[in-house]
Amino acid sequence: MPYRSADRRRALAAAALGRTVQEPGPVSEESEPFHAISGTVIDVSPHLIVIDTPDGHEERLVIAPWATAWRGEAVNPADLPVGANVIIKALRSGRVVDRIWADITRITGVIQAVGTESKDRTLELHCGPHRGRRTVVVPYRASGRLQVRHPKFEPGYLFDAIGVREDGVAHARLPATSQPPYRWTAVPPPPTGYGGVQSRISGTATWSDTFDVEEQGVAYPMLERSDAACDDAGISCTGLPYLALGSMLNVRNVCSGRTSVLPVVACGCLAGRFCDRCLECGTSPRGRIVELSPRSFVELGGDLTAGCFNARVGMG
Amino acid sequence: MLTTIATAQLPVLVLLLLAGTVAKMWTATHESEPGALSRLGPAVLVAERWRTPVMLACALGELFLVGGMLVTGHPFFWWSAVAFFALSTYVLWELRRRRPDVGCGCFGEVSAIPVGWRSLGRTVVLTGMSAGLLWTPQVPGWKTLAGLGWDHVPAALAGLAVLLALSPEVEETVARLRYRAPCEQRRLNPATALGRLRASTVWRSHVGLLSSPDPVDSWRELCWRFFVYPGRSPAGDPVDVVFAVYLSGRHPAVRVALVDSDGQPVAAEPLLESTPISAGR
Repeated sequence: MPYRSADRRRALAAAALGRTVQEPGPVSEESEPFHAISGTVIDVSPHLIVIDTPDGHEERLVIAPWATAWRGEAVNPADLPVGANVIIKALRSGRVVDRIWADITRITGVIQAVGTESKDRTLELHCGPHRGRRTVVVPYRASGRLQVRHPKFEPGYLFDAIGVREDGVAHARLPATSQPPYRWTAVPPPPTGYGGVQSRISGTATWSDTFDVEEQGVAYPMLERSDAACDDAGISCTGLPYLALGSMLNVRNVCSGRTSVLPVVACGCLAGRFCDRCLECGTSPRGRIVELSPRSFVELGGDLTAGCFNARVGMG
Repeated sequence: MLTTIATAQLPVLVLLLLAGTVAKMWTATHESEPGALSRLGPAVLVAERWRTPVMLACALGELFLVGGMLVTGHPFFWWSAVAFFALSTYVLWELRRRRPDVGCGCFGEVSAIPVGWRSLGRTVVLTGMSAGLLWTPQVPGWKTLAGLGWDHVPAALAGLAVLLALSPEVEETVARLRYRAPCEQRRLNPATALGRLRASTVWRSHVGLLSSPDPVDSWRELCWRFFVYPGRSPAGDPVDVVFAVYLSGRHPAVRVALVDSDGQPVAAEPLLESTPISAGR
């Protein structure tokens, strides 16, 4: 059955159940909102960065004295190369740069094949039915750091790393989590739910770069397979309720105290298979609840290189 | 006396083997979720691609034994049953040693709790029961079953009670029935919801507005399933008719709304199904 649009579904469901239509976006609070701006670097100096945004505009942003940048490792913002794709966390109505991530990518998938080219390793990953296959290079100098937390570079095991995209190839740099000790088909069952679903569920929120640039939304694991056209959906190691593409979620970053209302725009079939915890501020309960688009993740105060934040998620 | 007790165990054995066959076949063919078999039974001791065939082969082996024991009185089947249960004891012992986290899979997916002394004790008792049958007259099982009388009932019930006491699956089944996952977390068939919608009065009173019998979109949110049909409002404008069906209960709540292309609800005048006729003047 064709999936038409999230907005239409939202309007129809609200009309049928007599509820109000919610608009996506941050929930206004007293704290200063963060803005996520993506684009390509045109020019950069110690105090100013000029980027070309996807809609063709040129943005000139002031770099705050405390601002830092990341491109495989912590770098000085003025050292970013021209042409790098950046995601910027900006303050003051999006005019002052607080943090820059350049050419960052996150590679989450199931290992299909492992190849060795000289000292570097190449992993073929299955990233879900709608995301296809990806290839990631694990450089020799990063392999020790990665293998401490991903001991099994074997087909059938999950892989989740953060890296940089160089010349169209993803190079892993940091492990985004500890590798689950089970194969991707053997996810532990969720704990038995006694009496009703809780209105708010706590767990981990991560990000993924498979969303469109500037897209706001989340990928959610617990979708009906027939609705989402995703045969791997509907598996999670936390007791999550079923939702659909187009449902609105209220995502709260417990660490930064920021909240956004975001639509479910994709199937998070691989996120549901990780039973990890986030240690950003205290220890979160087990299980990934949502995978956010980079823009939503940054606007909620998340650090892309940390990979996750402790989240509390509820309906609408 | 001993022969009576031994003979009375035949229906218990037949019942158990048949239940095991059906449960294993169901689990192997209706894999409820990918990887369910990787937590079950001796199948985990073999490579992943052999798991379903091994479970099916085990189920067919049990069926073969039951069939042989019921139809013929050949000693081969009676000895095979003894060997089967003795081998099962060994396999479960080995499973407990090598993979203490997986269930025995004896009754398919219900037996997902790790193998313990009770599961092992049950196969030992079953081995004893099948060995006891060797002392009974070697006639086809169906003749024995037909010849059972009231004097066999206490022994059969006692055998069944021992096996039930040694079955962790009983508690698992009771817990599953008692603590059923809430409706929001259960996988539910969209076809059932569509059937319930079409049986509702709301559907009958709005079916005249629909311009197509098939929904153009359908999705599920928590315990509601939505169906969207193209239609026309009572004023004749094109609208989307959206039905929301609650997914729990036999006669669930059904709600309906007419929404125009701008996303605004349109008031639906209830259609008159019949013209009221005054009987008298």
